[in-house]
Amino acid sequence: MTGVLSKYKRPLVLIVVLLAFSPVFGVILAERVGYHEPLDVAAEKLGLREWDLPEWSPFPDYTVPGLPDTVGYVLSGLVGVALIIALGLALSGKGRGG
Amino acid sequence: MHIPDGFLDPTWIIATYAVTLGYLALTWRRASELIKGDRAITVSIFAAGIFVAQMLNWPLPGGTSLHFVGGALAGIVFGPVVGFYVMFIVLAVQTLVFHDGGLTTFGANVLNMAIIDVLAGYYAYRLVVGIAGNSRRSRLLGSFLGGWLGIVLAGLAAGVEIGLSPSFPYGVTVSVPVMVSWHALLGIIEGLATAFIVDYLYGKGGLAAWGGRL
Repeated sequence: MTGVLSKYKRPLVLIVVLLAFSPVFGVILAERVGYHEPLDVAAEKLGLREWDLPEWSPFPDYTVPGLPDTVGYVLSGLVGVALIIALGLALSGKGRGG
Repeated sequence: MHIPDGFLDPTWIIATYAVTLGYLALTWRRASELIKGDRAITVSIFAAGIFVAQMLNWPLPGGTSLHFVGGALAGIVFGPVVGFYVMFIVLAVQTLVFHDGGLTTFGANVLNMAIIDVLAGYYAYRLVVGIAGNSRRSRLLGSFLGGWLGIVLAGLAAGVEIGLSPSFPYGVTVSVPVMVSWHALLGIIEGLATAFIVDYLYGKGGLAAWGGRL
């Protein structure tokens, strides 16, 4: 972790803790209860179908190819968090660990 | 709430992209003044927190579920301009890296979750605190109502967008009641979470250290 981020230790720790628990909610329990959102209910009633476009994302639906869904979910989360914070560091002009 | 490719009529794809690009153009200058230095890091960590919170689905057995969205929270904490960029970044990463939400529907998802949810949360909170005074009770009430209203209005917008198309004009009479009623119910959880987080952050001495607006 770069020096710039050291004063954000508490929110960063919270983010990592939430990520560690995320597969319980995002994968295990979601599968058990058959997670679906109101949007899915409405789309089904309208007969809307998702387009079958070529996959553009490296980690579709928060999975990492070849890894179990739970592990992939955490790794996906870490990638997303890292990308967002990297953008913040770049915009801050302090991205070189100062 | 993330609309996938295939759910929107071309008219809506163009209209929602136009609104989103217009909002970007309108807010760009102000945002570039606000999001720099330490504040850029603060904003990005907040956005990362919302990104992770959205991964925590609420498992409601046998029923329709949802996950935290956070647009109202971002609006209350950072105001409508920076709050928009917080949600825009989250949605862009979700769409591009994780295929959560479509490319043709990105404009609509930004409109619903980064514009409507953020503005609803911000103004509901400001209205309640403006009328009732800046007490803990009014902050809790304002942020609860903001979180709830933001989700309901974002759901309403999504319902209109997927249901109202020239090729299928009566779909909206199906999609809007479904979206509004479910989100009015599930939005209670979003409202409670928003109120809890705002209260926590306020208890930490306001958001001056975050560069926010509380």
